Amino acid sequence: MEELEIAGQIIGGKVANILLREKSGKEIELGDLLVVDESDEKYLILQVYDLSYGSQIPQTVRELAAGLKLEGYGSSLDFLEPHLRNYVMAMVKAVAFVSKGGAKIPKVLPSFFSNVRFIREKDLSFLIKPPNPVYLGKIRSGSKILDFDVFLDGEEMLTHHVLVPATTGRGKSNLVKVMLWSIADHKKFGMLVLDPHDEYYGRNSKGLKDHPNAKDTMRYYTVNPPPGASTLVINLRSIKPEHFEGLVDFSDTQLQAIKLYHRQFRNEWVENIIRGTQIDGVKSTTLAVLQRIIRVNLAVYLEEGQIVCKNRVFSDSAGEATISTIINDLEEGKIVIVDTSKISDEAELLIGSAVANEIFSRHQDAKAEGRLDEKRTVGIIIEEAPRVLSAERLAKSGNNIYSRVAREGRKFKVGLVAITQLTSVIPRDVLTNINTKIILGNEMATERHAIIESAAQDLSSDDRTIASLDKGEAIVSSIFTKFAVPVQIPLFDDYAKMAKPSDKKVVFTG
Amino acid sequence: MKFAHVADTHIGAHREPVLAQLEAEAFGIVMDRCIQEKVDFIIISGDLFQSGIPDLAAVDDAVKKMHAVREAGIPIYVIYGSHDYNPNGKSIIDILDSTGLIKKVVKGEIVDGKLELEFFTDSKTGAKLVGISARKAGLESRYYEILDRETLEEEPGFKIFVFHSGLDEFKPKHLAQMESIPISCLPREFQYYAGGHIHEKSEHTLPHYGPIVFPGTLFAGSPRDFEASAKGTQRGFYIVQFNKKVEKVEFVPVKVCECVYHEYDVTNKNSVQAQHELQKSLKELDVKGKFALVKVFGELAGGKTSDLKFAELKKMLSEKGAIHVDINRFGLVSKEYANMKVAGEDIGGIEDRLFKENIGTVKLSNADLKGEQGTKLAHELLKIVRQEAKTGETKKDYNMRVSEDAVKTLKLTGAMK
Amino acid sequence: MSVEAARRLIEHLDTKIREEELGNPFFRDPNVKTYPLDKSGFHKIQQTKLACKVAFVDGGNQEIVGAPDFSVQLNRLYFGMWDCSERILEKSMPRRIEFFSSTYSRVTSNQVFYDTSVFPVHEEHRTMIPAESDLSFDSLDRTVTIGTQRADIERVASIARVFAEWQFATEIVKHELEKGDILVVDRTLQTTFKNEHNYLTNLVNSAKKKGVIVTGLSKTSALFTDTGLSLMGALSKLAEDDGMDEEWYFPIAEIYRLDHNAMVLAVKLNRDAKRIFRYEIQREQFGELSEEQINGIFAHFVKNSSDLTFPGYPYGLIDADRFARVSLQEVEYYKALMFSQLSNVGKWEKLSRHIRAKDAHDVLNMLIG
Repeated sequence: MEELEIAGQIIGGKVANILLREKSGKEIELGDLLVVDESDEKYLILQVYDLSYGSQIPQTVRELAAGLKLEGYGSSLDFLEPHLRNYVMAMVKAVAFVSKGGAKIPKVLPSFFSNVRFIREKDLSFLIKPPNPVYLGKIRSGSKILDFDVFLDGEEMLTHHVLVPATTGRGKSNLVKVMLWSIADHKKFGMLVLDPHDEYYGRNSKGLKDHPNAKDTMRYYTVNPPPGASTLVINLRSIKPEHFEGLVDFSDTQLQAIKLYHRQFRNEWVENIIRGTQIDGVKSTTLAVLQRIIRVNLAVYLEEGQIVCKNRVFSDSAGEATISTIINDLEEGKIVIVDTSKISDEAELLIGSAVANEIFSRHQDAKAEGRLDEKRTVGIIIEEAPRVLSAERLAKSGNNIYSRVAREGRKFKVGLVAITQLTSVIPRDVLTNINTKIILGNEMATERHAIIESAAQDLSSDDRTIASLDKGEAIVSSIFTKFAVPVQIPLFDDYAKMAKPSDKKVVFTG
Repeated sequence: MKFAHVADTHIGAHREPVLAQLEAEAFGIVMDRCIQEKVDFIIISGDLFQSGIPDLAAVDDAVKKMHAVREAGIPIYVIYGSHDYNPNGKSIIDILDSTGLIKKVVKGEIVDGKLELEFFTDSKTGAKLVGISARKAGLESRYYEILDRETLEEEPGFKIFVFHSGLDEFKPKHLAQMESIPISCLPREFQYYAGGHIHEKSEHTLPHYGPIVFPGTLFAGSPRDFEASAKGTQRGFYIVQFNKKVEKVEFVPVKVCECVYHEYDVTNKNSVQAQHELQKSLKELDVKGKFALVKVFGELAGGKTSDLKFAELKKMLSEKGAIHVDINRFGLVSKEYANMKVAGEDIGGIEDRLFKENIGTVKLSNADLKGEQGTKLAHELLKIVRQEAKTGETKKDYNMRVSEDAVKTLKLTGAMK
Repeated sequence: MSVEAARRLIEHLDTKIREEELGNPFFRDPNVKTYPLDKSGFHKIQQTKLACKVAFVDGGNQEIVGAPDFSVQLNRLYFGMWDCSERILEKSMPRRIEFFSSTYSRVTSNQVFYDTSVFPVHEEHRTMIPAESDLSFDSLDRTVTIGTQRADIERVASIARVFAEWQFATEIVKHELEKGDILVVDRTLQTTFKNEHNYLTNLVNSAKKKGVIVTGLSKTSALFTDTGLSLMGALSKLAEDDGMDEEWYFPIAEIYRLDHNAMVLAVKLNRDAKRIFRYEIQREQFGELSEEQINGIFAHFVKNSSDLTFPGYPYGLIDADRFARVSLQEVEYYKALMFSQLSNVGKWEKLSRHIRAKDAHDVLNMLIG
């Protein structure tokens, strides 16, 4: 190791708490990746999780010295050899032991008193680009960004689910956009994006619509579509009773009534409830309640004999093929963005439930017939995941399709990408099934603890690091990474390269 | 003021004399009704004919009727459909347009990457018509991408947009796989949208759009149409009354024959049982003077599909007085042949499924031959080899033409040299 | 009760320490020429730049294993070189050396003698440590006894380190310093023990040959004035009365003795410092220095004495003290090392009998905690 490269020296500690002294001026940062070179081209990668001051000068003396300076008594005084006597101590942990055979979880301490250096791109050569890459950003060491791209295998990542925990303003949407842009480079996975803030497509700004493959790989559903986009309109006949499961609390009587309507009217059950068609076995009071529930959840009601939908999403005449088309698109590996910004949460979740149920069902059938390999993995991106995954919701309304996907989806190549500000409300058994966590900054201690407890690596010492993550900085903790990888997610606007105008000349013939 | 809106007449679709006759009859009824109603003009939104160069006998009949309409002072405005468009040159539509019998309302040019369409103004009513014709396999979507909508939307007056495409928002569930475009591709604020290509009639409304109407096929363009008609789907066209905006949209049914539909599931039966039961049930049908459509489907528990004597059954029904008998057995398989499960019930769906499944079993290195690309290519090649010889075309010329088209599709132009 | 007693004690003490008359430096020895204690003696230290290096030397030792009849010590010597407040790296010498010493009793002609053997950690450092022949003492030698009692073996065992400091300093002068450079030891220039004078003489001769000035700075001073006050205390009072709040030096006495040949001064090396220190320069060398040179020496020290942790005390000595010390923690380690060696060679039982004669205090300490 060259003199210039040395960042510090190990002076003690234990396995998860190795102490090293920073060489003066090197400015080791929280989250920095450092390397100890051992013999035979082996090296240990260390990660900084805490920093503290070290001093050869007793505390009381330092306090006095500070007092002298502050109160103007010590104008001619200073610390001699300041860099020798006052320094920074870094607490680090070993995260990977790299040898010719690749990287392993380290089980030894680095050689005592060994020098450490900052990580170089070359040290990360064991991180190989996977066959189905989803781009996450560049490796970050502290706040320094290395020229080394981080990918996760999309197939593995999606089927084992992803959690994106972060508080507002930390770059969640930017991250999702970057990931989707990367996925759009190849049509290997279908992605259903429930977009409650209409921020992914790029209606009025740069967005996924600008991807060079957008025409072939993307579809955008919205209530008021710009040219080329699809209208978000779903026929009431596409709605099945099971789509409400876990999302709406029906009493037993109401459930029984729904069953009867469905049995009698098949796919016209909703319309008949709205129209108030009386049937045997269902009281008018129950019918009235069902009408109210449908009005609240779907914003659909009867007006002068016509079925009206306040948000124009549900219809009795249009949108028959919408759900099928969405599913076909997903199975072809397209990204389907559903703009739910102008509809209620209930409607948004119901739409997602309808699609997810159908996809799940198709994949289950395929598996039963031994054809699951032919199916593309489908991922569902849902924001504010506690709406469907919180312990409270699950206890109150039972399992819904989203929690089912979270628990069982891996077997059927259906995955969940859950975005949340509150990880602590999601039950542990759901969290443990989500094997990739892309952790963005979070100032809430309870949330950090919940994230840390369920992470794929031991992040017990990373509380401070997570709290100090700036916008765009993330830690990727996954069972598919050797260690919790610190990344810098690029700004979408910088990352997304605009589609070049097509050179192909269009000839118009009437 | 009023106009008639017709689509998907598919003249020339049927060679079989009875069907060809009914097809001509249906068209004739429409034209006569238009004269009777004194409509100001007629819009035919694509697939007037079954192909770009259809059967001349059928053309002859149709032209006579159209001539009568023209004589009555009623202009006929048309666009190409996906069938009567000829990618290699002129089609029957162009020929009739050049005679003045019909008027193609698609004219435009690409300026600075934008498609600027020109309005045709009906001289009598002042209605402005503009449209985009269909191309094969939904390729017209490229035109919609570059369409200059703003100029069209800003145009004042009573405007009609004529098109021949399925719309995502309105296509029926069973056509979910069909190529279609979202309605956002169409310019807004037109008073009427005259659609074609969808063989079931429907009327729709959406904010910012006038009535969006599909008349459906007039007679039948495919076996599925016969089945739908037999099951009760109405066939006909629309008469639209308008002034500054649309006042009334009225469907005018056209029925040229009665249909009888019978379906039989062979599942859990062997070929002997199936034959026996089928025969028995068909004997009881009243098919005199009617079109008989029989659908046989399912997986035989024993025996081969060829054990079933469909020719005999057909003969029996004809002898009972059926004007035409069609037996659909695409959904019929025997256990020995069950390695290919055919889910689609129409030819297009079956072909798609078979292509997909077979492509999946072959190791291919060229990405263009795999997956969706490969399936699409297979469809295109099949369409090419299905082309019929043109009238007067020699066998040698026909083979050459088909080969050239195939090579072009496969992007192997150099190989032919 | 105790508060009242304390008050009375303080009042009594106050009557005994009277600063009305500061007096003059008190040396009983006629070989000492003193300077009066008045404000004309203060020399303000001007900030001049003197191009030289200063080497600060210090030593430390601790008993590792002890008994009435033997004492094993770890001895350590350290030096650091400075140019004002900047450290200068040594050319060739090791900055720190260590050696073990073993002092043991012997009875010869009815007298108890203490002999010491030395064991450098690195053999090549043997030239920097004293000769064993200089480390043999009669237990009743007046230079080692305290009062009339036989000298404690531990005290005699420390002598090896004392001699080693002079020896080490000599090597520093020879290999690291040039003409005009200054050597500072952490003590006065007075020798105490038998043979010690030879080592200092060796040092002074080597220094004179090279033009290196030999000096010493003591942390403590037991000098008095002739009015019974501590000399440093009196000087502080004088400085305060005279408004001397800047850096200064004050000549106190010239000593002309065989065992102590030095110019003694008091120095205040930082205006914010509360303490003044006793500083000695080899007398002949002092005589050859000009006023400017003397000022230059002190100006160097002023720059080196500006550390916040101990204003007014040269940082070079803080540094030397830290690295020369043998900590108790180290003692424990070495003790364990020694005991394990004893055990290995099967001599534990034999030596532990003797150790027990002295370690009851340690046992009590352990019990009480």
